[in-house]
Amino acid sequence: MKYAYYPGCSVKSTMKEYEESAKAISKVLELELVEIPDWNCCGSIDAIYSFKPLYAVALAARNLALAEKMQMDVTTLCSACYYALARTNKILKEAPGIKSKVDDALRNAGLTYNGGVRVRHFAEVLLSDTGLEKIKEKLKVPLTSLKVASYYGCFMVRPPNICNFDNAEHPKRLDELVETLGAAKVDYYGKTRCCGGSLDITDEEIMLKMSRAIFLSAKSAGANCMTTACTMCHLNLDAFQKNVESRFDIGIDLPVFHFTQLIGLAFGIEPKQLGLNRNCVSPKKVLSSTVAQP
Amino acid sequence: MSQKPSVGIFICHCGGNISDTVDVARVKETIGTLDQVKVTETFEYLCSNPGQEMIKNAIKEKGLERVVVASCSPRMHLDTFRQVVKSAGLNPYLLEMVNIREQCSWVHDDKEKATNKTIALVRAAVQRALYLEPLTPEKLKVTESVLVIGGGIAGIYSALELADKGYQVYLVERNPSIGGHMAQLSKTFPTFDCSACILTPKMVSVAHHPNIKIFTNAEPILVRGFSGRFEVRIKVKPRYVDIQRCKACEECAKNCSVEKPSGFEEDLVQETAIHIPFKQAIPNASVIDKDYCLYLTDFLAILGPPGSRGVCGRCQKNCKSDAINFRQKDELIDLKVGAIIVSTGFSLMDSKLVGQYSFGFHPDIITNLQFERLMLQGLHKPSTGEVPKKVAFILCVGSRSEATDGYSSCCKIGCMTAIKDALLLDKAVPEAEPWIFYTDVRAYGKGYEEFYAKAREHLTTFVRGRAAEVIPNGNSLIVKAEDTLLGKQIEEQFDLVVLSPALIPNKDTKELADMLGIDLGPDGFFLEAHHKLRGVETKRKGIFVAGAALGPKDIRETTMESMAVASKVATFLGRGETSISPEVVYLIPERCDLCGTCVDQCPEKAITKGKNEVTINPISCNGCSICVPTCPKEALDLKNTTEEQMIAQIKGIAEGEGTALKIIAFIEKRTAYGSADLGGQSRRTYSPEIRIIRVPSVARLGIKHVLHAFAAGADGLIFVEGDDSTFKEDKVRERVILFKKDLGKFGIQPLRLQHSITTLPQYEKTLSLFDDFVERVKKMTPINKEKREELKKYLEGEKIVA
Amino acid sequence: MSHEKDKLSAEAKNIPQGERKESRKAFIKEVMKMPGGEKILECIQCGSCAGGCPTRFAMDYSPMQIIKMINLGMREEVLLSSTIWVCSTCYTCTTRCPREVNFTMLMMSLKNEAIRKNLVKDGVNAKFHKYFFEVINKYGRMYEPELFFKLLDKTDVYSLRHSASLGLRMLRKGKMPIKAPKIEQTPWVSKMLEKTDEKGV
Repeated sequence: MKYAYYPGCSVKSTMKEYEESAKAISKVLELELVEIPDWNCCGSIDAIYSFKPLYAVALAARNLALAEKMQMDVTTLCSACYYALARTNKILKEAPGIKSKVDDALRNAGLTYNGGVRVRHFAEVLLSDTGLEKIKEKLKVPLTSLKVASYYGCFMVRPPNICNFDNAEHPKRLDELVETLGAAKVDYYGKTRCCGGSLDITDEEIMLKMSRAIFLSAKSAGANCMTTACTMCHLNLDAFQKNVESRFDIGIDLPVFHFTQLIGLAFGIEPKQLGLNRNCVSPKKVLSSTVAQP
Repeated sequence: MSQKPSVGIFICHCGGNISDTVDVARVKETIGTLDQVKVTETFEYLCSNPGQEMIKNAIKEKGLERVVVASCSPRMHLDTFRQVVKSAGLNPYLLEMVNIREQCSWVHDDKEKATNKTIALVRAAVQRALYLEPLTPEKLKVTESVLVIGGGIAGIYSALELADKGYQVYLVERNPSIGGHMAQLSKTFPTFDCSACILTPKMVSVAHHPNIKIFTNAEPILVRGFSGRFEVRIKVKPRYVDIQRCKACEECAKNCSVEKPSGFEEDLVQETAIHIPFKQAIPNASVIDKDYCLYLTDFLAILGPPGSRGVCGRCQKNCKSDAINFRQKDELIDLKVGAIIVSTGFSLMDSKLVGQYSFGFHPDIITNLQFERLMLQGLHKPSTGEVPKKVAFILCVGSRSEATDGYSSCCKIGCMTAIKDALLLDKAVPEAEPWIFYTDVRAYGKGYEEFYAKAREHLTTFVRGRAAEVIPNGNSLIVKAEDTLLGKQIEEQFDLVVLSPALIPNKDTKELADMLGIDLGPDGFFLEAHHKLRGVETKRKGIFVAGAALGPKDIRETTMESMAVASKVATFLGRGETSISPEVVYLIPERCDLCGTCVDQCPEKAITKGKNEVTINPISCNGCSICVPTCPKEALDLKNTTEEQMIAQIKGIAEGEGTALKIIAFIEKRTAYGSADLGGQSRRTYSPEIRIIRVPSVARLGIKHVLHAFAAGADGLIFVEGDDSTFKEDKVRERVILFKKDLGKFGIQPLRLQHSITTLPQYEKTLSLFDDFVERVKKMTPINKEKREELKKYLEGEKIVA
Repeated sequence: MSHEKDKLSAEAKNIPQGERKESRKAFIKEVMKMPGGEKILECIQCGSCAGGCPTRFAMDYSPMQIIKMINLGMREEVLLSSTIWVCSTCYTCTTRCPREVNFTMLMMSLKNEAIRKNLVKDGVNAKFHKYFFEVINKYGRMYEPELFFKLLDKTDVYSLRHSASLGLRMLRKGKMPIKAPKIEQTPWVSKMLEKTDEKGV
């Protein structure tokens, strides 16, 4: 199966390993991710939108216009990009005033968008199209040493009329994936509680407090690692983990995997191919000897 | 009946109310010259004794065959003058009234124009009167028995009231016992009566009452007939236990090996597949849940004797009264009843739909109905069995919500139930700490505010803020909310969380409504005929609703409605017969080609088509005449508003001189006409160009009447229908659009036709519409004489289809 | 808190009664036209939004209070609140609101309004949005180093210290871009700006 792949800015820089692992497992599962040629920033959910809303929508629409030419569903790894692109269709449909201005802008950029490009999160593509059965078939190394607290974050499940990967209050699809890979799932409070990603730069203190709550909850429920499906969430929980530890003088030590990395490990793929050495919090301790060490 | 009957006309001065504006002398003079008019009199007060005597004498002495009374609104004195006419030996339907007060003298200032309008109206009445026919209301015996659907408190109460009045009552309940939700409650608010203690004596009375027959495990599946004479088919599903033989000793349950969640105990406790519904169940007999019974779920076992194939049947073997019968089948019973009461109650919304409260993810998150059961089982945490001390009551779970799975109404009993539960908790558990998370405390009923005060006295903690989340935390629960009065988020740990789910209609409410031919309101509950004046009646005569089936309410309101509905039913059936209005649709058989178009039009299902004929049930017909213009062969007509009568009246109003412009307003006879009268009572003046014709419903009008009106001299037509009519707004609009198209084909500006829907008090809307319309028509190019002649020829030559 | 807020509130207090009512109606009408503001009159002030908001602890006014204040026409207080800037756009409130008020969208619209009316506190918040936009408009994609240094220019390093340490960490892991991104048609991206530009800051 082929998909129009929208990378988003993060996976090309701070989240390189997310794309690396996604590409690695796609190969095994015979999925082809065709990068949208000349894609641009998704327009952001809030960062640009609050400042220049029309421009933000036009940016998102440009990507959809480029994808439309490819005649495939769009899939992305970042939940925030996913929402930014997915809501564009709704905005253009419901606000004809905005649509006409965006159409003008696209025309000025030499493009048209007719609406109707389906935007899907990569996790949803894997779980709905490929399916847990097929993933199970390719399983080589059950991840029995892992007790995984799956973190869904905001935009996989909210707002429910656009982002409906799973139930907004009690999601379980990533947990089902975790169990399929042979690991133990951990039920904890905070699966969908915001990590403060959008406040990373402007309100660090607040963001650190929010992430801390998630860590404490996952830890007290017995998790020894976490998994995410979004670049911003991963940044907060992995890259900023040390900051949370130092700011509040606590120990957390929870390695955070991209869910694609977990699948990759279970498929027996080389950790280097999955970019595991790029994760800030080292997963060495939790990976048993059966799993190849990064 | 000859079309040349003699007519007498009586014009009332109404003590100046009419005569100060209308020149009654001129009217008398002009009208007196009309064909067939033998008598023309004016009088100060026609409704007074001497006035009535005058009319009577004129009829007797001059041998009058038709009477026209021009006075106040027929809504005031139609019955009075019909009695007068009847006592003079004339059929009361040979009287025609003309409204020249509320709709003329009280609303026009220009005396000349008012008088001209009066002349036109009276002339029209005379011409219509020539076609009036004698009619007799039919008397019909009613079946003096009542069907009550639903055996909760509402059904039980109305059944007892009616049975005590002497009526035979059939009480049909879908569960294996009557009692409904009230049987599940512990104590009631605000008096702390034990719910079972006040309910069960009534249940026992129902069981023993000679006039009440109970059918449990039963539902209606077919309703036929008409009001006063319904035929209902009931399906009684098998309980696999003979009620007469069962002694309720419970030996069967003791020997049953299958356990299932108990419906009566709201899934908190297990019960065996064979069980007595609850201790005070009526009938007090066991029932087998066929989805769990080992014997009944093995379909091959059903064919052989119990014990064969090694499958169960232990209950039967141990039953000393030989009451168990696995072979029981569905039973169909046909009942004849005169009236039907719907008292099917409500359901609780599934709290899982409000995911933020994590219902279903922890055994200690329960509903308020489950809390009632816990109180009676001995209050304990479902998870550990410990006694809960700190309990959170979360209100508005799914109520007051516009969200997809939410319910927009308030549940009405949530606040009071939580307060009651908090007080009960306080009494039962020392050091209890009840917390109530509310949006608004609704303590509206008798004794409720005082009850609320009691809760505060007992130091119940009230947090003003709808709880945001419930988070399971080991054996406790964390509730997060904003205390909006203090302006800060709080997080508290609780032993037990009790949710107040929305009260919603039962799943198959629509099915039952369709079966009965009644409506549901926008909230999905049954719709009453009028919010204030007819709160327990429905749009169908003889079918009533009471209790929570109409919408969420407490027990006190429910019993009040039960008593009201019993009274209404008794009035309805009381005289043993019912009088049927003769103003019904009838068939002209020689024109009918059995196309059957009319059958589906009828809201009362009064028309049936057999192999060789179409029959209209004059008892079911409510005279709305929606069917009449839809007949392609004009084979239907309405008594007392026949084609001939209508066309005569239309011509009478539109012909002749007078005001430069003539606008005919066809007004539905009850609500819309009442509204115009109200405008008159308020002395709200409007253009005298408007001449009103009272019709049973705007549905009565076909394109034929529209064309006749313009041919005769009308310049504009307005249709006004009442908002509570069976002919709904969208249907009115549909018809009017078709008429406008036709007018266009005839070269008449479609904007000369207008329509409006009104409620009774909205007269301002209607009368402003009149004024605006007159102004607009004034500005249009007038219809020339040739066009009208053309129309006349067309109408004479061809048969026009509506 | 900047003195702008005090100054404007004082002015607001001196508005005569009749005008205040008109100004209240006008503000409500304006907000109802903004994306997210369509249903604010449906709000029953239940407080579910405030109860579940993960950044409520850092707000001066709760989400529920913001709607109340809009209803009372308190334009300046709403636009100068910390609430609209601290909102992390997580959509928890919108998901749970029983009246279907899209509060998250409203927050974004109010941010936009605050920027247009120049009612923003000094500090990193509004600047962040402006600089983010500038970087995207220049390159078509994010270039973190430039964003960071722009911010550094107007803010002290101390308040950006955690981001700074993160930057170094990224560098060590080889995840910090050195070269600026380039999309083929960058000029086209800013051509779109011409057609969509409204008066920003």
